[in-house]
Amino acid sequence: MLPMLEKRRTLAGVMSWIGLGILVAFILIAVLAPIIAPYPAVGPNSQFLTPPNPLCGACAPPSFSHWMGTDNLGQDVLTRVLWGAQTSLEVMAIGVILALAVGFPVGLYSGYVGGSIDKTILLVMDSVYAFPGLLLAALVAAMLGKGPFNIGIAITVIYIPLYYRVTRNQTLSVREETYVEAARSLGARPWTIMWLYIGYNVLITIPVIFALSAADAILTAAGLSYLGLGIQLPTPDWGLDLSVAQQFLTDGVWWTSFFPGLMIILLTVGLSFLGEGLNDLINPLLKKGRA
Amino acid sequence: MPRRGSLLAYGLTRLILALPMLLILLTVVFAVLRIIPGDPIYALYGGRAPLSVIMALRHQLGLDKPYWQQYVTYIVQIFTGNFGISLGAHYGGQSVITVIVQKLPATIELSIGSMIVASTIGISVGLISGINRDKVVDVVGRLYGTTIFVIPVFWLGLMLQLLFAVDLRWLPVNSRFDISPSPPATITGLYTIDSLLAGRLDLFVIAIRHLALPCLTLGLVLSGFFAKTVRANLLRTINADYVEAARARGIKERTIISRYAFKNALIPVITVLGLEFAILFAGAVLTETTFNWDGMGRLLIDSIEVQDYPLIQGTIIIFSFIIVLISILVDILSGVIDPRVRY
Repeated sequence: MLPMLEKRRTLAGVMSWIGLGILVAFILIAVLAPIIAPYPAVGPNSQFLTPPNPLCGACAPPSFSHWMGTDNLGQDVLTRVLWGAQTSLEVMAIGVILALAVGFPVGLYSGYVGGSIDKTILLVMDSVYAFPGLLLAALVAAMLGKGPFNIGIAITVIYIPLYYRVTRNQTLSVREETYVEAARSLGARPWTIMWLYIGYNVLITIPVIFALSAADAILTAAGLSYLGLGIQLPTPDWGLDLSVAQQFLTDGVWWTSFFPGLMIILLTVGLSFLGEGLNDLINPLLKKGRA
Repeated sequence: MPRRGSLLAYGLTRLILALPMLLILLTVVFAVLRIIPGDPIYALYGGRAPLSVIMALRHQLGLDKPYWQQYVTYIVQIFTGNFGISLGAHYGGQSVITVIVQKLPATIELSIGSMIVASTIGISVGLISGINRDKVVDVVGRLYGTTIFVIPVFWLGLMLQLLFAVDLRWLPVNSRFDISPSPPATITGLYTIDSLLAGRLDLFVIAIRHLALPCLTLGLVLSGFFAKTVRANLLRTINADYVEAARARGIKERTIISRYAFKNALIPVITVLGLEFAILFAGAVLTETTFNWDGMGRLLIDSIEVQDYPLIQGTIIIFSFIIVLISILVDILSGVIDPRVRY
């Protein structure tokens, strides 16, 4: 049994490192986009080495000067894809951090006080969680209007129940630990127990959820942009660029939709690897701590 | 009062427990639509309409009343089946229910097709993976389960469109039916069923050809979840005592897998099914956009674009009803299959 556990743990370790590597690479791309992108992100910059395609404006297939080709406006796809990392990470960060900021304290409180307050909050959160996230986000996005910050808020709605649930369940079990009992009998105030003794120990499960919800948030944000509810042109954004590219797909123009999608997949695969790897690494720790 | 533990009692309890969930969802929808800043009337006219028109419309929609009064009217109207009249450019003047009844079959057809694809592929992959634990096939299967799930459904749709419709020309690019011949006369609204009812096999083939790509797209993305659940459960049941006992009695491994382990591994899959539907509907909105599929998802996005407030509200409420209904059905189904959950 033990050797297998070791093997699994190293696999999880490798997965987390790959995931972390991909995430760091994307953060670097986002930060360095203004420097590393070969062309300006907005406006025509194709050199027209090949004559413009009559079907899709100034688009041209991948070539030596434009590795990923140009889109219908003659914009370099590689440049837009690099800049797109900025928009995507920005929206994701806003959405996930806000969800944590709301879901964590509410989950902590709900799990700690228990009783009918806990039951009520749980019912509300579970109902919202059962609803298709994208539809709810689309509704909120439609009401708030476009832009990275508004989309971030819209996707927060999906992930609050997730953070809430994980925090609450963890709180329920940590609450019964002996050291919490000890703190209580020594006269620690509920607020101190909740935040310092329980909260600190619940926090260990958060990185997993953080990575997994971040992966999902990237997909949801791209979906909203694809539906035309997210980011406004001409801001470079993977989902938005895909929805523009779709019009020219039937003419065989594949490069304007292929590459933005590839970026979404790479980033979400990275984040899922990180999340699942961390999950395998942290869960044994949690189980050991319980025993 | 039916006996405790009987299926009827269990079903009734589920039904009663689902009511608060429905009410909460309706309340959330109300909160998002009315309390978040953003005035539908203002958005509809872009501030160009004279104040008197805006005031009249606000009055007509009841937006000039206090929130609690609006809320009561809203709930009463929903439960009396009055969803209002569409305001938008596309369906203006039609009742919301009429529009939704036209669009719902397209989404149902897409959902059922996708679920068939997803469960067939997903359960097969999970089964093969689970039987060959830690072999190469298993690693491939697990990798499939993890990666297929993170592929954006709209991107997958576009790529399949490019391959099968644009390059190979095997299947139509998008929409629910050919331009001619015209679709079968509406009975159920599901083109496949209607063409069979009309006895027109040729129309049935057209409908299936149009269904193929969208269902494959959505089904593939959903299959990862099935594969993961089936594999995990199979690993659990394959080492269970009753399977060990069967093995000790000398029953063939093939029979053990199919009769003992696999069957029991499928039970938790049914519980997962409910969650799967939520993902399915989110995916359907995107897939309908990719394939120009004239269903509920397209309707919702179109109404959001033109700020058709009653239609947005109606569509979302119908989705809420369906979600709650499915969660009840899933609960009852798992109660039928596994009597233990009834207690």
